[in-house]
Amino acid sequence: SGAPREKDPPLVILVDSREICSGAEVVSALKAAHGVKVQVCSLSGSDYIVSNRMAVERKFVSELLNSGNRSKVTQRLQRLQSMFERICVIVEKDRVKSGETTRFFQRTQYYDGVLSALVQAGVRILFSSGQEETAALLKDLALVEQRKAAAIRVPTELEGHRQEMLNFFLSIPNLSYPAALNMCHRFGSVKEVANRLPGK
Amino acid sequence: MTTKGNFPVTAGSIVVPYGHVIGNEKWRGSEIAQRLQGKIRLIFEDGLGLVDFHLSNRTCILYISEADLVAGDEFKRRLVRFRNASSLGGIVIVEKTQISDQYFLAVQKLVVLELGMVLLPVTNQREASQLITQLVHEQSKDLNSNPFLRKQCSQLAEPSLFRTVQQIPGVGKTKALLLLQQFGSIHRLCNASVKELELVVGQTLAQQIYSFLCS
Repeated sequence: SGAPREKDPPLVILVDSREICSGAEVVSALKAAHGVKVQVCSLSGSDYIVSNRMAVERKFVSELLNSGNRSKVTQRLQRLQSMFERICVIVEKDRVKSGETTRFFQRTQYYDGVLSALVQAGVRILFSSGQEETAALLKDLALVEQRKAAAIRVPTELEGHRQEMLNFFLSIPNLSYPAALNMCHRFGSVKEVANRLPGK
Repeated sequence: MTTKGNFPVTAGSIVVPYGHVIGNEKWRGSEIAQRLQGKIRLIFEDGLGLVDFHLSNRTCILYISEADLVAGDEFKRRLVRFRNASSLGGIVIVEKTQISDQYFLAVQKLVVLELGMVLLPVTNQREASQLITQLVHEQSKDLNSNPFLRKQCSQLAEPSLFRTVQQIPGVGKTKALLLLQQFGSIHRLCNASVKELELVVGQTLAQQIYSFLCS
């Protein structure tokens, strides 16, 4: 049941350009193992976008164990909450560096507090043991969203005037990347959008 | 703790007094119960059915032990029955240990992606009690104190409007300011004629702005 039906177009996942470095294996597994169409773009604020309404943040366990990252993590999620209907955090096990024996993490009260606050805020949480598993989870999320008719269906590569229109829409506060993308495809011009907005 | 036999589904809401947790009678004397006592007020009740702990009138916990995972699919039927019968928010706490690790991915897929419930792994009952304590604290807090919820800050429209106008090809800071002073809004700018635009910027740029916005 997990396999896409034949009439479904390939799954599209938008990936932030910064993930090319920190999540190279996630990106290559999405393409090679899962046949997902990966579009790398500057998402400024989210790691992955798996549908028109869902953003996914990839966080290491170590980032959530330590209160030193508090403001960075909360600011990013607050920003996502203002742009997306659904947010998911994938909590990924830290990689064991060479020369290091398996890391032992003491579960902190702070960590449980973060999880509790995420649950209370309606943020979905998934746990991953590494980059390949994260890729599989991203594909599963995109599949669920596709079943709920929320998949990104418009072309993600734009050129010339359309690309300029996209940049214009992306500068509007609280407008997500897929929302801006859909506006470029559904409307003929910026003027048409301006004249269709309520309360103009 | 295994969940053999047919427990009745308790579908209705249970009244949980403020700051309390209602625990299923079967947890009496367990390590979780012992560690919770003293931190939160724990009351035991019979007949909670499929639910292990009620944190509030809206949220409850279903606990899946290492033994449940290894024993087979009984716990899956329990989760599905709960989901079909109850409108409560269900948080599934699962014992993810070296032994049960191999089952975790499939459980996560079922609980989070198929049933739309919350899943939180712990390695033992000691960790579970710390997590439950934090969940209870979070539930009793004001939603406004949750750092992950959108803050209703009044964002000034002008600086972002200024940035948006600068996305029009050929328009920099100076021209953006002139255009906003003259037209005031994106809507009015979009509906300006080339002639009106020419009065603010040069002929070439006026034509460029017009064609960017209107075609």
